[in-house]
Amino acid sequence: MLLRRPLLAAVFATAPALAFAQGGLQASAVSMVETAGRKMVDLINAPGASGEQKRQQAAALLRQYVDLNGVSRFVLGRYARGADTAALREFQSTFEEWIVRNLASRFGELAGVTFQVARTLPRDEGAVEVQTLVAQSGKQPAILGWRVENVGGAPKIVDLVAEGSSLRLTTRSEYSSFLGQNNGDLGKLTARLRQQLASLTEREGQLAAR
Amino acid sequence: MRRPFVALAALSLAALAAGCATPPPASDPEALAEFHQNNDPLEPLNRASYQVDLAIDTLVLRPAAEAYGIFVPEPVRDRVRNVLDNLRMPVIFANDVLQGQPRRAGDSLARFAINSTVGVLGIFDAATDMGYPAHYSDFGQTLGRWGMEEGHFLWIPVIGPMNARDLAGFGVDIAMDPWGWFGQSNDPWVNAFRVARPTLVVLDTRQGLIDVLDDIRKNSVDPYATLRSAYRQRRQALINYELDTFARDPLGRAYGGN
Repeated sequence: MLLRRPLLAAVFATAPALAFAQGGLQASAVSMVETAGRKMVDLINAPGASGEQKRQQAAALLRQYVDLNGVSRFVLGRYARGADTAALREFQSTFEEWIVRNLASRFGELAGVTFQVARTLPRDEGAVEVQTLVAQSGKQPAILGWRVENVGGAPKIVDLVAEGSSLRLTTRSEYSSFLGQNNGDLGKLTARLRQQLASLTEREGQLAAR
Repeated sequence: MRRPFVALAALSLAALAAGCATPPPASDPEALAEFHQNNDPLEPLNRASYQVDLAIDTLVLRPAAEAYGIFVPEPVRDRVRNVLDNLRMPVIFANDVLQGQPRRAGDSLARFAINSTVGVLGIFDAATDMGYPAHYSDFGQTLGRWGMEEGHFLWIPVIGPMNARDLAGFGVDIAMDPWGWFGQSNDPWVNAFRVARPTLVVLDTRQGLIDVLDDIRKNSVDPYATLRSAYRQRRQALINYELDTFARDPLGRAYGGN
């Protein structure tokens, strides 16, 4: 039912927004999100795949389509400027690992998912948000937005918007509050992310052992 | 008789003063910009309120919601949610009208008519299949559509994240809910309804948030800041009608519901 008219939906949703003259990004963003989303849904719904396999494939997809370098800078906001180069690099690589593992683990838990492009919205700085309807079998669909920007000549996903809340904006607000309370010590934030990565590894190990 | 009120007023003023955050100095423009952007001058008070809320939630609300999720099977919970959604429809319709949205108001009116009859008192959502998809409206959103600013951020125990505008809207929504207008308060059925409905709304809402909130509490380095940011963005998206889980083609036909 949900997948009945995805192409038609994409065309209708895209047409009025094109008037905003967002250049070719509009069309390439929709087709990129469709491709990435289709691949993600296929692997989530793949029969017989283990949680571990799903997680690894989802992580590979995220690394391919998401501008991880940009996101890991964005979430630091004003704290990225003037940060110690080594500490910044350390944070960025830890954060990239953290975000990929977390999202992959969440996608890995899903099953029986349908996915459809609903509409595209023009955003600031020439970006577009491709809104998709994602539903798990029998449940009400949820709106999931993918913010796409031109990164080095190619469209890349720079943000995920769930129920109207942007993942990177929310994370930036969270980190800025944490860093404000810790004298801007980037090392402390990196250490916290490492702790969480360790407990995620433990949880996944327990799940696999079951 | 007047004394306790004076004392109470003085006390709450003192608490308010103590709960006010000191803005960063003008010599740090970025920190100052962030302070204004967060729109949370009562942050210390709100954070205290958040801790109280967290305690209440851990002790009472979350366990109750979890029990509701475990002991009431999912199909039953879905039907309960349908009934609750249908009971809210008059308020949604009124807000659609106040927002000057005939199409959305029409959807709400049709949904109420269809689901109350064909859907057997709202138990089944027949309207979505007939092309009248669900959406949510409230008076805080209406005020936002009318151009009112959100006002300061607030954290209210049990209710959670709020702002001044949405708190006012919350009160107006309760006042314009027709189910509160009828019935004698000494009628046991009326009383049962008046207790059961908000209780089920709280249980259903909290049950639906268990995974999300558990995740934030476990993974966020500052859950209060995360929830504040997410709430404010979500409210803005609602005001912009960007949370509709359906879209319309150029002929106005809705698709995308299930």
